[in-house]
Amino acid sequence: MLLSLIILYIITLTYLSIVERFRNYVSVITIQGWILLGIALLRLHSLDWIELGFIVTETLIFKAIIVPAILQRVIKKTKINRVRTSGTSQFNSLMLSITVLIISTIITYYVADSSVHMVFFGVALYALLSGLILIVLRSRIFAHMIGFLIIENGVFLFSMAIGVEMPILINSAILLDILMSVLMLGMFMTKVDKQIHTDDSDNLTHVKD
Amino acid sequence: MIYIFLAIWLSIACATFFVKQKSVVRLLCGLYIASHIAFAATIFAGGYFTFSSGSLFTFDHAGTLFYLLLVIVSGFVLIHSEEYLKDDTLSSYKQYFALLMLLIAAITGVYFANNIAVTWILLEATTLCSAGIIYHRHSEDALEATWKYLFVCSTGIAIAYLGILLLSAAANNTSLDYDQLGTLITQGNPLYLKVAFLLILTGYSCKMEIFPLYTIGVDANFAAPAPASALISTGLVNAGFLAIFRIYRLYAETAIFEWVQHVMIIIGIMSLLVGALFLRRTNNYKRFLSYSTVENMGIVAIGLGIGGIGVWAAIFHVICHTFIKSSLFLQIAVVRQIYNGYRINRIGDYISINKVGAVGLLLGMVAILAFPPSPLFISELTILAKTLFTNQWWLTVIITVIMCIVLYSVCLRIIRLCYQPNQDELHLSRINRRLSYSALSLMLAAFVFGLWQPDFLLSIIDKIATF
Repeated sequence: MLLSLIILYIITLTYLSIVERFRNYVSVITIQGWILLGIALLRLHSLDWIELGFIVTETLIFKAIIVPAILQRVIKKTKINRVRTSGTSQFNSLMLSITVLIISTIITYYVADSSVHMVFFGVALYALLSGLILIVLRSRIFAHMIGFLIIENGVFLFSMAIGVEMPILINSAILLDILMSVLMLGMFMTKVDKQIHTDDSDNLTHVKD
Repeated sequence: MIYIFLAIWLSIACATFFVKQKSVVRLLCGLYIASHIAFAATIFAGGYFTFSSGSLFTFDHAGTLFYLLLVIVSGFVLIHSEEYLKDDTLSSYKQYFALLMLLIAAITGVYFANNIAVTWILLEATTLCSAGIIYHRHSEDALEATWKYLFVCSTGIAIAYLGILLLSAAANNTSLDYDQLGTLITQGNPLYLKVAFLLILTGYSCKMEIFPLYTIGVDANFAAPAPASALISTGLVNAGFLAIFRIYRLYAETAIFEWVQHVMIIIGIMSLLVGALFLRRTNNYKRFLSYSTVENMGIVAIGLGIGGIGVWAAIFHVICHTFIKSSLFLQIAVVRQIYNGYRINRIGDYISINKVGAVGLLLGMVAILAFPPSPLFISELTILAKTLFTNQWWLTVIITVIMCIVLYSVCLRIIRLCYQPNQDELHLSRINRRLSYSALSLMLAAFVFGLWQPDFLLSIIDKIATF
């Protein structure tokens, strides 16, 4: 069961590389929230009610419901539906994503020792790199935000790989971080629409030397 | 004890959001800074110095020293901010001060945290408070700078968190307290330790304003009101420094400490280089001062990299830099009131418009360039001497060459502001010489440390640098 969820998670990451519609990005984020919930419940054996409540809040309510809802609202309000023509085609993005997957596997094979869970480590690394690639390859701010969320999900998986029982304090900070970033995105996209008239990071070049 | 004070500070800050008059905001600011002074006094008079408070905070030498600096700078920042924002609407006025109070409280927490996770959480909190302050003007530039700051800081902090997780794995997930981690990681997987250090350093570099994530600090200082920049460029930078320094100290007993020192030297050189190059390139006085911070933090990183007396010099450099840079930012806030901008190519003749302010800037130039009797002369000379004595002559050459570029750029820019013909519109009615005098007092305090270092300060620095 756990392996099936992990494979599904890898598929969502690979699919992410060929996505062009923002609604599909949001769908991927939602699905990942559900998968992370399943993984957390299967992986963490000795959960008390408080921890269980927190994990459900973090993965299901937060990652799978609230954040996607805010993102949908942003799409609706700004009426931006697709990533702008980027420097790479879908085929090249897919090839890049698969290359990153292979690299992550090789790195994991050589780096991971007995103190970490090899599969989780590899998938977390793949998620981190996928998020970074999304930020680098796509020019729209919305895609950058998705990249950031993918990285945060990767961090969550990474904590599973290490087997750290994260204190509620840290979990709260991560939630706060994501929530603030998503709210900021909402504010930014709507304010920018009025003030700067851009949704493209290429145009955010006023503050520089 | 710290929890009581944290509750007081948060209560005052939250109350500030809801007040209906500016005079009440000023009253709350007074109350806030008084509570910080009371807290500092309690640490010393109440016998809490070097003791723990709860399980998450310790009043160690480093934390307490930097906290004292924070209280001093915060007092000045609050006073200058009041004058700087007096024409603002009540809504933005109270929001600014409330966020400033929250930022100071979060920085205080970072200084005293004795757990790596708590440091991380509170650094994250500083990001959120700073973002609100950076967006204070609600302009296009402020919006862009806020977005970049929030995005890059959040990503940086997430990267740092990965490093913390790896460090935790190297310590067998036993404890995240600094005291225990130091012992636990000595037997850890060297590869994990190296990757963890790189990730944490990269993540925290956005706070310490060093290479590679230094740019957002510059953007933040550029967009935030100048008095707040004084706090961001000193108090927050010191928080980043302390967070990195505590990690650096953890590695002292590990087999890879030499590698860690090499990394610090590389980071230091890169910071010094980009700082020097952009000092030459920028056309904005606030960005200019921010790049000066990047350059100075580069010197600090090199100090940590060379080790030994270099660590002592690095800490002394940070302390003195706090006085000098906060004074310069507060002086530049007065400049902005007069010229309504920071454009290097257009504004000038400051010496005949505001002599006190111009003297403050010229003294700042002498101080930041480490000319004697600047206290930075002591730290930079110590670092250079250490590089020579350890036969790292290549490092001496690199630092000297880059410092020559810095010297030329800083002299050119500050002298221009004071003496070149002004081409911009003047707002002479806004001159407030009391603020110039006030900022000058911080600069003079720095020069006092250049001429005479009190025994208690030297003893505290010795204790911080010995591990």
